[in-house]
Amino acid sequence: MLELFAATLITLGTVFFIAGTVGLLRFPDIYCRLHALTKADGLGLALVAFGVAILAATPGAAFRIALIWFFIAVSSATCGHLIARHARLAEGGRHD
Amino acid sequence: MRATPPLRLHASAQVPPATRGEPQNRPPNEAATGQHVPALRPPAPPGRRESLLRGALSVLVLSVIWGGLTDWRIDALVFGVPAILLAAALPLLLSRGARWRLSPHGAIIFALWFAVQSVRGAVDVALRAFAPRMPLDPGFRSYALSLPEGAPRVMFINTITLLPGTLSADIIGDRVIIHMLDRRSDLDTALADLEARIRALFALPQDKEFHT
Repeated sequence: MLELFAATLITLGTVFFIAGTVGLLRFPDIYCRLHALTKADGLGLALVAFGVAILAATPGAAFRIALIWFFIAVSSATCGHLIARHARLAEGGRHD
Repeated sequence: MRATPPLRLHASAQVPPATRGEPQNRPPNEAATGQHVPALRPPAPPGRRESLLRGALSVLVLSVIWGGLTDWRIDALVFGVPAILLAAALPLLLSRGARWRLSPHGAIIFALWFAVQSVRGAVDVALRAFAPRMPLDPGFRSYALSLPEGAPRVMFINTITLLPGTLSADIIGDRVIIHMLDRRSDLDTALADLEARIRALFALPQDKEFHT
């Protein structure tokens, strides 16, 4: 039962990763693509991490997975901001 | 909507740090007025007891992280103890400007709200990506920051990126430039709400004019 729940979470997470990739390919410009990467992949990672943590079953491993999730979540939001900022600088801030 | 009742309604109700034991992160303009009237608000140096408490808290948090990473192996402490002590001492070398504290109650509410919002944001962008006609109307908007510099601002800017349809793209002075997937959505209400939640999270006084 627990395995089934974990497998469902991991599958759902994969769906969000696919959505992020589809967005990356289909969206018109770099900023919209960043939306897809930061948000959809972020939730995808959270779901996969949660599912794997259930399967891992030891508290130590679950703790490490939670740490990994936390640092990736923080760094992806920051990286998204930095890439968008750099893109705007490269364009000369013409969107103001 | 206000997330939690503010701990202090008015900034003027703040007690000087010397008697509180824990200095407040004030908005810059208030800190400036504090310097003009030294008789009322002495530039109290951080208390020894408070520095010790902060140091002990960092050591505790870092030890738990190290212990979790190494499965509490004793031999790993050869590297762990110096690393923890060095990391805990780092804030002493950095500037003392960026003081902040969390409200535990605000933090729990913020974490739950944040989890729901990040799911909403991801579902929103995933549906747009999969939709055959891709309902996008992207564009930039700007928003005036009123949060104090440091951790509250960083938290605000990083959280914007995980909210549905918004991405913080740049900071110019006191304005944050936001990229929106759909320019028709109501940005100002969403961000004013987020700002109030971050004030509750950091135990900052709420804006007086914000009462929805």
